[in-house]
Amino acid sequence: MARPVIDIRGIHRIYETEAGFTHALRGVTLTVERGEFLAIMGPSGSGKSTLMNILGCLDTPTSGTYRLEGLEVSSLDDDDLAEIRATRLGFVFQSFNLLPRATVIRNVTLPLVYSDVPRAERELRAWKALKSVDLPEEYYEHKSNELSGGQMQRVAIARALVNDPALVLADEPTGNLDTATGEMVLKTFARMKRRGKTIVLITHDSEVAAWADRTVHIRDGKLLSDEQERAYVAATTHREASA
Amino acid sequence: MKVGDLIRETGSALDANRGRSLLTVLGIVIGITAVIAMTALIDGMKYALVGQLGLNRARLVYISCWTQYGSVTASDLEKWEQDLPGYEFITGTSYGWGEITAEGNSANGQIVGTYLDYFDAMDVNLVEGRLYTQREVDKGSLVIVIDETTARTLYGTGGPYTGKTLKIGNYDYTVIGVTEASQMTSNTSYMPFTTVNTRVNNYESMDQILGYAREDVDPDELAEQTTEYLRTTYDIDEEEGNGYVYVYTMASVSRQLDSTMMSFQILMTAVASISLVVGGIGIMNMMLTNVTERIREIGLRKALGARAGDITMQFLVESVTLCMAGGVIGILAGYGGAWALTGLAGGLMGLDGIQPVITTSAVAMATGICVGIGIVFGYYPARRAAKLDPVESLRYQ
Repeated sequence: MARPVIDIRGIHRIYETEAGFTHALRGVTLTVERGEFLAIMGPSGSGKSTLMNILGCLDTPTSGTYRLEGLEVSSLDDDDLAEIRATRLGFVFQSFNLLPRATVIRNVTLPLVYSDVPRAERELRAWKALKSVDLPEEYYEHKSNELSGGQMQRVAIARALVNDPALVLADEPTGNLDTATGEMVLKTFARMKRRGKTIVLITHDSEVAAWADRTVHIRDGKLLSDEQERAYVAATTHREASA
Repeated sequence: MKVGDLIRETGSALDANRGRSLLTVLGIVIGITAVIAMTALIDGMKYALVGQLGLNRARLVYISCWTQYGSVTASDLEKWEQDLPGYEFITGTSYGWGEITAEGNSANGQIVGTYLDYFDAMDVNLVEGRLYTQREVDKGSLVIVIDETTARTLYGTGGPYTGKTLKIGNYDYTVIGVTEASQMTSNTSYMPFTTVNTRVNNYESMDQILGYAREDVDPDELAEQTTEYLRTTYDIDEEEGNGYVYVYTMASVSRQLDSTMMSFQILMTAVASISLVVGGIGIMNMMLTNVTERIREIGLRKALGARAGDITMQFLVESVTLCMAGGVIGILAGYGGAWALTGLAGGLMGLDGIQPVITTSAVAMATGICVGIGIVFGYYPARRAAKLDPVESLRYQ
């Protein structure tokens, strides 16, 4: 069997804050195979953002191992992590995070600036990425702040795809969009999945999570399977009902 | 990150803050303006003086000597030349003043009586005619070389002037040549030494003795040697009042000029330094504001794979570019300012016709200062940007 894209084992993440130590992740183990579309669900404060940051190599675990396509990344230094982000990861954010005064094309080529892709190749790649998210060509030279929310998020997805990453990480990608536009964005993810992309999507919305092949739940820094989640919810409801 | 990318990022970042960038670089502009105006002015003055005195000026030794036996004569000079082999030649001049009249016009001016050697040491440029000959010097011929200014005063515009006659005192002289009028020698005419002594002044005198040092001889050492020699030869002791020796070189005059300029230079350097430091702090302040405003952008860039070094470079190039833009404006303004100041300085020092001189080294120095300020004052904000945590930056509102 091929190496999984994500292979994390026994991850702990402890923050030191003024209030003391916060144990955000308590022994998370997770495997995501190539071509899989995974949703991670959890309420705020559950540790899902921390997990997302670790998966995105923006943060390193306090303990545990993280293999990205077989490469151990939990002990790399900042510059090496930056290189991993530039070449193997694509990010889609809730608030799009486009450069407002730059054109669509320039926004999409931005990651290529940091992965030393020759200039001549950049526009071609951006073009392909934009095609794959179905953004009409007449918008390519528009400034990104002239676009609608749905268009902006598709530009952001194109940006995440442009360096042909091993893994696309989406953090509440539909959080700032209405239901219809959100659905259009989710369809874009579904299409990426059909083309073989590995996607990890974080959400608190079960309707959004339903688009994924598989859903894991996170509560108090621990992952729960669907059954465990149902048991947890049932127990909580029962406690509340009897109280 | 490639150089082209850096330039593009910088261009769009500065373009977004045009008004603020322009105001911030004012301090740099003022500082560089002061630096350039100062150096342009000083170089201009030096250039004007070198031009006026001739390129050979460094080899000139001026000798003034009065002895208890009377005025120095031409035969004395011949003896000096033999005893002081450091000189290529020593030549005497005498000065005469008089009203020059011709065709009902009159001009006042200095008349310098010279030997032919004089023209080897001083750069006198003829615009028409010729200089006098050895024969004319020996005979004390009634010939004169006038300058363009005098020629125009006497005969109006439009030459040639050669062959015309003019009158000084009781004698008529023939104009045989016309020299270019320069700032220091305007209204100066040249005549054979003997003619000035016998016709214009009616008495023997040698007012100014000019020595011309050999090329491999240090003029200052030669001047000292000359002073010693003259004191011994004529038994001169200034304290007893039985004579007087004063020898100086053009090199020492030029050094004196340099030291006069120095005080001016120190003042301008102080003004420039203060303004550049204040300007640099302004740049730092603006860059810190830029970093704070763009925290999310920095977070995004880091998430997309920018290394700390990439972010540092981006902000450093931005601050250096800002300073360089200020430098360019300052160089232009300084050059303009130098033109305005030459009028003023010319009026105060009685020198006109000074033109500011912009040297490549002055421009290189100004550019170097700008780059330096950009790096020194841009480094802290750039490092601060580079050290930002991507996770927190992306969440920053």
